[in-house]
Amino acid sequence: MKTLLYMQGLTKEYGKEKAVDNITFSLNKNTSTALIGPNGAGKTTTLSMLAGLLKQTTGSIVMDGEDTKDIRKMIGFLPQYPQFYTWLTALEFTEMVAKLSGVEPKMAKLEAEKTLEFVGLGSAKNKKTGTFSGGMKQRLGLAQAIVHKPALLLLDEPVSALDPIGRREIMNLLKELQANTTILYSTHILNDAEEMTDQLLFLRKGKLVEQGSMREVREKYANPLYKMYFSSSEEAALFVEMSPWPTRQEGPVAFISIEDGKPKMQEVLLKLANSNLSLSKVERATASLEEIFLQVVNKG
Amino acid sequence: MSNFSFLFQKEWRENVRNFKILWIPLVFLLFGISEPLTNYYLPQILASVGNMPEGTVFQFPELSPEQILMSTISQYQLIGMLVVTLGFAGIIARERKSGTATLLYVRPISYFSYVNSKLLVMITIVIGGVIVGILASLYYTNILFGAVDIGAFFGFLGTYIAWLLFVISIVLFSSAAFTTGIASTVSVVFVLFAQIIDALLGTYWTISPWKLPMYAGQILNGNFDMTPFVWSIMITLIASIVLIAGAGYFAKRNVSKAKI
Repeated sequence: MKTLLYMQGLTKEYGKEKAVDNITFSLNKNTSTALIGPNGAGKTTTLSMLAGLLKQTTGSIVMDGEDTKDIRKMIGFLPQYPQFYTWLTALEFTEMVAKLSGVEPKMAKLEAEKTLEFVGLGSAKNKKTGTFSGGMKQRLGLAQAIVHKPALLLLDEPVSALDPIGRREIMNLLKELQANTTILYSTHILNDAEEMTDQLLFLRKGKLVEQGSMREVREKYANPLYKMYFSSSEEAALFVEMSPWPTRQEGPVAFISIEDGKPKMQEVLLKLANSNLSLSKVERATASLEEIFLQVVNKG
Repeated sequence: MSNFSFLFQKEWRENVRNFKILWIPLVFLLFGISEPLTNYYLPQILASVGNMPEGTVFQFPELSPEQILMSTISQYQLIGMLVVTLGFAGIIARERKSGTATLLYVRPISYFSYVNSKLLVMITIVIGGVIVGILASLYYTNILFGAVDIGAFFGFLGTYIAWLLFVISIVLFSSAAFTTGIASTVSVVFVLFAQIIDALLGTYWTISPWKLPMYAGQILNGNFDMTPFVWSIMITLIASIVLIAGAGYFAKRNVSKAKI
C-alpha cells in the first residue's frame, strides 16, 4: 500500500514541556487511522502540526513523497469545535473556503452545493451559520474540510460533541469518504475507533506508546481467557466447581485462563468429556478496545 | 497575491453585513457637514436655544474657509480616530480569538494577502469615509464661508490621507501582533496620546508622522516649510510600509494562537 504521509521524530515543546515527544508514524493512502489517548496526550497538538497551525520544534512531515513546506493544499481539517462567520450562509462559507483551497472559482459554488448535499445540509445551505445547531455546525465543519477533495482529512474529535444519532450520521459519512480519502482522526470514543479504523495510534503524555492495526493490537494485548459456552448457567456453575484451574462464570459462560499453555486445552476438554456437561462452543475472549486503551495508557 | 481577491471579498461582505461600510463613513460625513453649519449658524442657534438675557451681545470672530476645514479635521483627529482605532482593533485579533480564523489558516493562503485584504477594506472605509466627509465639509464651507484654493485643498487632502494610512497601519499591526484589548490600547496610545505628546513636546523637532495633520493645515493656508514636510511624509510612508509588513509577519507568527 502506498504511503501518503510520513512523520518522523515530530516534537513540539512549550518551554521545558513536551506536548508531543518524538513521534514517528506513517499513513497509507485511503486508510483510516485513529489517534487515541487521554486528555492532554498530544492528539490535538499532533493534528495542529499536520494542519499547519503549529510549527513543530523538531521533526519532519513528508507528504506524498515530497518534503513540502506547505502541505495545507493537500489537507482538510475539522477542529473539535469549528467556528464559522455567523454572517455568512453555509453555501457562502463553503464556496469561499473552496476557492481558498484551490477549487476553480467557476466550480466552487457547484462543489460547495454538492458537498453540502452530501453532508445533509442541502436544505439549510442558504441559512446563516449563526443559526446552526451543534450537529449542523459539525456537518458544515466536515463540508468545509472535504469540499476541495483533500488527500488527507484531519479530524479532531469529530463526533465527541454530538448526540448518538448525530454521531452515527457523521460516522456513516466518514465511512463513505474512507474509500477515496486518507483519514486521521483523534477520538476518545473507542466504539468509533473500533468501527472505522485500519490503524491505531496510542498517545500518552505526548509519546506514541503503541501502534498497529486493530488485529495486531488485539493480538498483542490478547486476553489469555477462553470462553466456554454451556447450555445453561447451572452447567457453567458446575464446571467452575469441578475445575482445578482458575475459572469464573458469567451466566452460561465459563471463563478459563490458559496462559503459557497451562493447563493444556486437551486436559480441559478431557475433563469435560468425562462429565455430563454439554459444551456448545469454545472461543478466545478478545480484549475490547477499552480494555486495551486502559492497559496502554496505564503502562509505564 | 494568491487568494487576495477571495479574502477581500470576504472582508468586504463582512463589513457590509455588520454595517461598518455605512456607519463609519456616516460619522465622518456628519462631522464634515456639522462643522461649517454649526460655525455659520452659531449666532442663530444661541439666540434661539441659548436662553440668554435680553440684550446679550456676542462677538464671533470671522472664520476663513481654511479654518473651517481645519476645524473639521480637528474633530476627525479625536472622535474620528477613536472610531477607527476601536472599530478595527479586532480585525485580526478577534478572528483569532473566536476561532473563525482557524478555518482560513488551514488553507494555502498567503498571510500577506490575508493582511492586505484587511488593509484594503480599512483603506476603503476609512479613507473613503474621510474623503466623503471632507468633500461635504468643503461643499458647505464653499457655500457659507467662501472658496478654498483647489490646489491647496488637494495638497491638504493628500497629506491627511498619508496620515490616515499611518493610523490604519498602526491599528492593523496592533491587531496582528496583540489581543483585541491590547491592540485597542496600543492603537489609542500611538494614535491619540502620541499626538498630544507630539503637540506638547514637538517644538523640539519638525519631522514626525504625528505632525502631518498640522502640515495639512499649513498647506491649506499656504504657509509651510517644504523640507520637514517632505521628510515627515517620507518617514510616514516608510513607517506605514514597515507596519504593514510587520502585520503580515505577526499574522503568520500568531497562527498558533488561533483558537482550535
